[in-house]
Amino acid sequence: MKIVGLESLIFGVDDVRGAARFLVDYGLTPVDVSDRRGRFEAIDGTAVVIARQDDPALPPGPVPGCRLRKTVMGVADDATLGAIAAELRRDREVRRLPDGSIESIDDSGFVIGFQLAARRPFVLAGEISNAPGGVVFRPINSLGVPPPGSVIRPRSLSHVVYFVPDVVKAEAFYVNRLGFRCTDRFTGTGPFLQPGGSLDHHTHFLIGAPPHMHGVEHFTFHFGGPSEMITNGYRFVEKGYQAFWGPGRHILGSNWFWYFNSPFGCHIEMDADMDQHDASWQPREATVSADNSQTFLLKMRKKWYPGPGIPENGDYA
Amino acid sequence: MATTREAVPASWVHLCRADEIGEAQSRGFDADAEGQDSLFVVRWQGRLHGWRNACPHIGGAPMAWRRDAYLNAEGTRIVCHAHGAEFMPDTGLCVQGPCRGERLSRIELVVDTDGELFVKS
Ligand code: FES
Ligand SMILES: [Fe+2]
Repeated sequence: MKIVGLESLIFGVDDVRGAARFLVDYGLTPVDVSDRRGRFEAIDGTAVVIARQDDPALPPGPVPGCRLRKTVMGVADDATLGAIAAELRRDREVRRLPDGSIESIDDSGFVIGFQLAARRPFVLAGEISNAPGGVVFRPINSLGVPPPGSVIRPRSLSHVVYFVPDVVKAEAFYVNRLGFRCTDRFTGTGPFLQPGGSLDHHTHFLIGAPPHMHGVEHFTFHFGGPSEMITNGYRFVEKGYQAFWGPGRHILGSNWFWYFNSPFGCHIEMDADMDQHDASWQPREATVSADNSQTFLLKMRKKWYPGPGIPENGDYA
Repeated sequence: MATTREAVPASWVHLCRADEIGEAQSRGFDADAEGQDSLFVVRWQGRLHGWRNACPHIGGAPMAWRRDAYLNAEGTRIVCHAHGAEFMPDTGLCVQGPCRGERLSRIELVVDTDGELFVKS
């Protein structure tokens, strides 16, 4: 099944205006925003959609406290759309919506939708490192650090992380029914999952958790590279948003990360430079711990040289 | 809840004027000057309540989604914007979410006779 990845995530919120400002400050482009709803797109058109939590058009979340109401995936062709509908109709309702997409529910209670992938192709070089002996270099006189005021935009909706009460059952649904592959696994926690039409290390990560945590841990967009992502994160912090963990780099998936609190009842992440794998990749297994999920964690040092008003040991004093 | 004293020891930390925090509003304070708000104050049904900015779900997790934004849109619950836990503004009891039944830790507040808000330290 050629599911190519996440197309949009739909949230019900209690403060549309505040959530809209949050997403714009994160870097997304507002499209059709009103007091009741709004769509916020990355460069390729993948998006977060928000609506007032009492909007009757919103499907229910898996549990009352969960603000994520629907996860929409893009598929490569009509054949895949038909195959998914036929597969899911074997044991559950599948609705065809007026826009041609289909809607159903996964085995953990998350409403899922499938539509023909509508991502806009674009060409925009990612971050390039000037490494002695390397093959690809940045153009001469171009800068590695994004200059102040430069526009930084998320490129594509990357992944969503669910807390699920029965992780074995949840994984089986995506693997056996929708053709996802496990790329890596945290023992006793859950799998990183890649759909059949994507090379990304994961578009979904499942975390087994007690029923009262059922919901979403985070979601994220890919940025053009670590420098861009971290610069965007510092700008976000300067606007008053609350960082949670990062910036750092994960081991499984190699993606750079920075997590922030959000008005969506879950974290939002910024990520960059995730590994890509094909079917020849052998999944690794690791125990979950901070040591196994961050290869390094960066900390900004405001005072780094001895000087007036700064103790001899700088920040270490 | 804030109590009123005539004078406060010099070691107590001044936060702001008590009347700067309106009904159903919240405000964070970096009382330990560590570059991160260590506590926040909410006014709920007229009274001020101080809480440590540390969610019981993950020890020490900061709770606001934006500076000073610790409440839901209606101002009826304190929300941890990491995973959406909801707390009563007056008792700190978690009533929904991953740490249901646990409590925020209270910070003792003092308002002096001039209406200035302090925290004991
Ligand atoms: S850290 Fe507060 S809800 Fe998870
Ligand atoms: Fe992530």
